Amino acid sequence: MGGPLVTVRGVEKTFQLPGAWPWSPSRAVPAVLGVNLEVAPGEIVALVGQSGSGKTTLARMVLGLEEPTAGSIALEGQAWSGVPEKDRQARRVKYQYVPQDPMSALNPQQTPLEAVSETLRALGGLPAAEARAGAREVLVKLGLEARLNALPRDLSGGEQRRVTLARVLALEPRLIVADEPTSGLEPDRRQAVLRDLFGNLPEASGCILVTHDMSAARAWAHRALVMLAGRVIEEIDLRAYEPVHPYARLLFDPWSRPAPGGELAETGCPFLPDCPLADGPLAERCAAAVPPLSRLNDRHAVACYGAEAPTVRDA
Amino acid sequence: MSVDVTGEQLVALRGLTVEHRGRRLLDGVDLDVHAGRVTALMGPSGSGKSLTARVVLGCVDTNPGVTGGSLKYPALSGRDWLDGRAGARGARRLLKETRALRGDFMTYAPQSASSALNPGRTLGRQLELAMVRGGVPQEERDVALRTLLDEVGLPARALGALPGELSGGMCQRAALAIAVAPRPRLVIADEPETGLDPVLTRVVTELLLELCLHRGCGLLLISHRDETVDRIADNVVRLTGGH
Repeated sequence: MGGPLVTVRGVEKTFQLPGAWPWSPSRAVPAVLGVNLEVAPGEIVALVGQSGSGKTTLARMVLGLEEPTAGSIALEGQAWSGVPEKDRQARRVKYQYVPQDPMSALNPQQTPLEAVSETLRALGGLPAAEARAGAREVLVKLGLEARLNALPRDLSGGEQRRVTLARVLALEPRLIVADEPTSGLEPDRRQAVLRDLFGNLPEASGCILVTHDMSAARAWAHRALVMLAGRVIEEIDLRAYEPVHPYARLLFDPWSRPAPGGELAETGCPFLPDCPLADGPLAERCAAAVPPLSRLNDRHAVACYGAEAPTVRDA
Repeated sequence: MSVDVTGEQLVALRGLTVEHRGRRLLDGVDLDVHAGRVTALMGPSGSGKSLTARVVLGCVDTNPGVTGGSLKYPALSGRDWLDGRAGARGARRLLKETRALRGDFMTYAPQSASSALNPGRTLGRQLELAMVRGGVPQEERDVALRTLLDEVGLPARALGALPGELSGGMCQRAALAIAVAPRPRLVIADEPETGLDPVLTRVVTELLLELCLHRGCGLLLISHRDETVDRIADNVVRLTGGH
């Protein structure tokens, strides 16, 4: 105890995609490039960024569902590397995943009560009667008392999410990785689902929230990591600071400046083609090398040659 | 490119009341859409936004359905399409009578484009079919297709691609292209930003707006984002739900 729940050091992931034809060479697609991440017990960390920025890949690697190409990942001090899949499964009982699309994650023939009690039996190792009682308790806590025996197709979008949450929370995991748990829900329903998730998070458990919803990141996360093209470009405590990286500012307030072209630079800072700061000698510097993540203070770090300068002067 | 028809009234919906199994889902909704303008339809989940839009499209699938109100497309005629269209039989007749308007006078841009596109047809074919439906003459289609593709920012190779080969953002662009391909007067978009990240949301919203206004189309936009609606809507209809 006391140490971090999650320790990610210099992790990289490159996918090899097959070429157009069986005889064409495969293409290397980098998804995650040199990411460091720590999650302490009781901490909620948000991963934000546009689609394709590597958030989900990183989240899956944390749970040992994907093997990193380089770097190391350890949960509660124990590394994933070298652990065979069958041993990983047993360890994963403590580290749970909330899927994005509940309808493809839930068994269409299983009621919420059956789904959660099966989880408690199979993963929690409880006898049937206890599993059922435990499942009922969690579902009632999440306000699904009237829906215990409904089929997933008869549940509303928000209720389906709650069933996936109940399944995870019932196991009292040490770490929950939630991959866009509110995508597709309307704003008024999103709040309620997140309240259910974080309100019932076991004490001293950590959570990684992958999201597109910046207001959720602001409202709940102790720390947010902004990702762009596989890299973390800003790490920030949103309760105390505003984002300074021009890309992060665009993400948090997309209407604040002219629409981006969406083109990413191959070398140097990926945001360079759309960057409003890069000008003159600074632009040359940004084109030459990827800015490293540098600390502004203990709760704020940014990877931008243009954004770090003024704040460093202040400090 | 098109004649200036800005301001012409396309939809006049008055006092729309819809019931379903004894519950009143909509109670006296008024809504206007004008050419070259944006009308936004807002409200919490379950307040009947999509239902209202479906009535404008002539698709009523509740029982007994429309129990009051009138729906006119003033740009076409003075006819009240809801007159005597209560009940399941009336809804079927309405659906049948408005069939010729859908895909021609008015089109629909879906919420989740990647699941709304036909997975087994190339994008080029789907665009072409939309043009056929809208009566775009054959000799114009090829040029129109390429111009449109360029306008929505899709590469030419996308024409030969199946929807499954495109990213979510590209599918959304394709769906918007299909919505305007038949040269409609009215476009109805049901939360086109659902599931997109914030930056893409803005890009897609602006694209939709540009596509419609450039053609002088009226746009009925269902949205739950204040920051989007505040920026682009000419008038806003707020549904409170279940009143």
